[in-house]
Amino acid sequence: MKKLSLFTICLIILVGSWVFLRFVVGGIISVPIPGSVIAMYMGLIIIAILVHISVEDSLFQEFRRPILETLVEDKRRNHRRVLVVLIPLLLLGYTYSIIAQRANPPGSPRDAHPSPPLELTYKDEVIGTMQDVVNPFRHYEKDDPEAFSAHVENGKRVYHQNCFYCHGDHLDGQGHFAPYLQPLPANFQDPGIIPNFQESFFFWRIAKGGPGLPAAGTPWDSAMPIWENTLTQDEIWDVILFLSHYTGYQFRTFGEAH
Amino acid sequence: MRIRTVALLLTLFGMLIVFNFAHAQNAPEASEKGKEVYENSCAHCHGTEGRGDGSAAENLLPKPRDFTRGLYKIRSTGTGELPTDQDLFDIITEGMPGSSMPPWDTALSANDRWEVVAYIKTFYDGFKEAETSPKQINLSGKVAYSEQSVETGKALYTELGCVECHGNIGRGDGTSAPDLTDEWGFQSWPANLTQGWNFRGGSDTEDIFKRFIGGLAGSAMPAFEGDSFPGFGLTAEESSRMIELDNKDEMTEAEEEESAQLYEKYDAAVDIALNLAEGTELSAEEQQIYDDAMRVVYEKSWHLANYVKSLMPEKRPEPAIGNNVLRSQYIQDELPPMDDAAWGTLEARYFPLVGQIVIEPRQFNPTIDAVNVKSFYNDTEVAFLFTWDDRTHTTDETDEETGKTLEDALAVQFPVKVPQGPTAPKPYFLWGGRLPVYLWHWKASAPEQVTELTAKGINNAEAQAAQGELHVQSTYTNGQYTLWVKRALKTEDKKDLQLEPGVFVPIAFSAWDGANGDVDTKRVMTSWYTFVLEPVPSSKRFIYPPLIALLSVGFLFGLRAFVQRRNSEEI
Repeated sequence: MKKLSLFTICLIILVGSWVFLRFVVGGIISVPIPGSVIAMYMGLIIIAILVHISVEDSLFQEFRRPILETLVEDKRRNHRRVLVVLIPLLLLGYTYSIIAQRANPPGSPRDAHPSPPLELTYKDEVIGTMQDVVNPFRHYEKDDPEAFSAHVENGKRVYHQNCFYCHGDHLDGQGHFAPYLQPLPANFQDPGIIPNFQESFFFWRIAKGGPGLPAAGTPWDSAMPIWENTLTQDEIWDVILFLSHYTGYQFRTFGEAH
Repeated sequence: MRIRTVALLLTLFGMLIVFNFAHAQNAPEASEKGKEVYENSCAHCHGTEGRGDGSAAENLLPKPRDFTRGLYKIRSTGTGELPTDQDLFDIITEGMPGSSMPPWDTALSANDRWEVVAYIKTFYDGFKEAETSPKQINLSGKVAYSEQSVETGKALYTELGCVECHGNIGRGDGTSAPDLTDEWGFQSWPANLTQGWNFRGGSDTEDIFKRFIGGLAGSAMPAFEGDSFPGFGLTAEESSRMIELDNKDEMTEAEEEESAQLYEKYDAAVDIALNLAEGTELSAEEQQIYDDAMRVVYEKSWHLANYVKSLMPEKRPEPAIGNNVLRSQYIQDELPPMDDAAWGTLEARYFPLVGQIVIEPRQFNPTIDAVNVKSFYNDTEVAFLFTWDDRTHTTDETDEETGKTLEDALAVQFPVKVPQGPTAPKPYFLWGGRLPVYLWHWKASAPEQVTELTAKGINNAEAQAAQGELHVQSTYTNGQYTLWVKRALKTEDKKDLQLEPGVFVPIAFSAWDGANGDVDTKRVMTSWYTFVLEPVPSSKRFIYPPLIALLSVGFLFGLRAFVQRRNSEEI
């Protein structure tokens, strides 16, 4: 077999790296890499190739020989003909695709967990400060397990009559209405949800729903209803008990030090 | 040494497979574990006693299955048979699309699912009493999908009376559709055969075939196994001939003779089937007649399954989110009217609907799957074509509970002012709030009219005092509404949305199916999607690319000339 020329090797490295990054890592291993990062890697590879061929004059001569041959020598006439058609065509297609690209709608940057107000309210009644309010039934967990079970059981009922259409049977945000809502309903099985919030935060989000989000939460696309219109305070606290009981996650507390 | 290791590994691997396979056949004995999983994950719908009366059941339709009667819709077994353990396991694993039964494949381990299978079987004694395992449907005679088979299936679709419930072209809009109930007396809508993604037991040809042969136990869908099959005992030609003769007003003597013979053959085969069902031994000759008849039933069912398969797209369309937004296409001329062929050149955008469960009264069980939308615009006007499937054409029914008038309707919602910038708030998705929305409200009782509304909340909508000039056309055919609306891009009315090419405009929908009790807030809806008058592509696209191509050719020739000159100088 004929030995590959330095130019061909460099070309293979370049194209091979791109295919590897774009289709092997991005496709088969399915860790999609942003276009800008791929461009950066490719830039580095081109620099490396340039450094390599310019280390010695002889290497540079060897590298450019096939290019010069293709440009002028008769034996490469056919290569030349193909390239003189192919290169302009590729450029034509590329520029056309850039210019004719359709505009896409803007994304909607939003704060998924905006800061709650300082005071927790139900309808217009002030319950206390967001920091200090605790679930009034939480203490049953230690003091009266039977009463606690009854509250969890009631929370389960409330959940399955109101919440599970979107948040799902398994509390994983995959209820049968969920796929067609944007943003998607919260997934309580996600370890980053329940443990990061106090029960009072959940009470606030449930009671006030999407429309109760502060300005930082705009655009308000959340389909979360204002549950204080439908559920009693006790029902909301019961549902919160059920959420942590079913998933096994503990809500965040500020402990004894507080 | 190495060979021995490999052999050992292979054996272990083989044992694993055999173990798994054996495991897949039958559920374990019912255990405490099964009860625990059931009560934790299933009882809220299916009830602690398995009666389908959990706390969520009240608001659901289709109702959660009542396990105490042993009636299971989705089976691989023949009519009247119980499901296999694998059937039950598969339903739990995959869920039932179009209902509230979710797939449990990620939420429960395979082991837990098997435990649940064993536990739900304890709700019905028939499982314990069954002496033989249920008879599975033989799939070996599958007729491959072909146009010929679809044609045959299509004829059978009418011949067998599928039309009565499923409608002329399968949209579930047959004349008896609104009156169907299941074993428990609950409303049971016939499937819309054009929406395979809502088929409870899957929409593969095999799945459909199994539903014909086995029936959907407990529902209004009959099983087509055996003597209940029209023309049982006749070949395909004979049964279509029989129908042909039946439909004749007058028969010649020879034809009457022929018809009588066919009926005789049919009756004989039905008698044999009935005898078999009663447990009578069949003679070899009778067995032959029965087997032949069954072969025809199976073959016809495969044709029918192929036909049903031909009615649906390969998969559910992608919702119009992300870059898949609704783009109105520019044309220079007059906008095409509703029945113009030009609409066929556009691809519809798909907007799936969900129940409105935010504000009472709520709709937990939607009957309208989605709205499909296309749009054209020119320099002065925009036209939309909305289509949606609705099994019933309801214009004026009275709700027994509330006394309100029920009718089919659609509302298209836009903001009055388009939000500027990505963080600018949109109006509340449910007919606005602090920020108002602009609506087109169409009702089936006034099919040539759209009312412009302004709303600041779902219960706070008003017809605009100045109704703009909207052109409207609509039809209802074969279970599908088509609505065409045309409006000027710009209007004088400050309460109207003003449209401009290239601006992304929020759009949302509400729909009402009167026959499903939809009225006022009880409806199906979408949250915000996006719509844009797609700008005419810049004419630069015809200038710059060829220019660059030409320049590159020039550059290549220049380079060649340069190298040639240098080479000759070197020499």
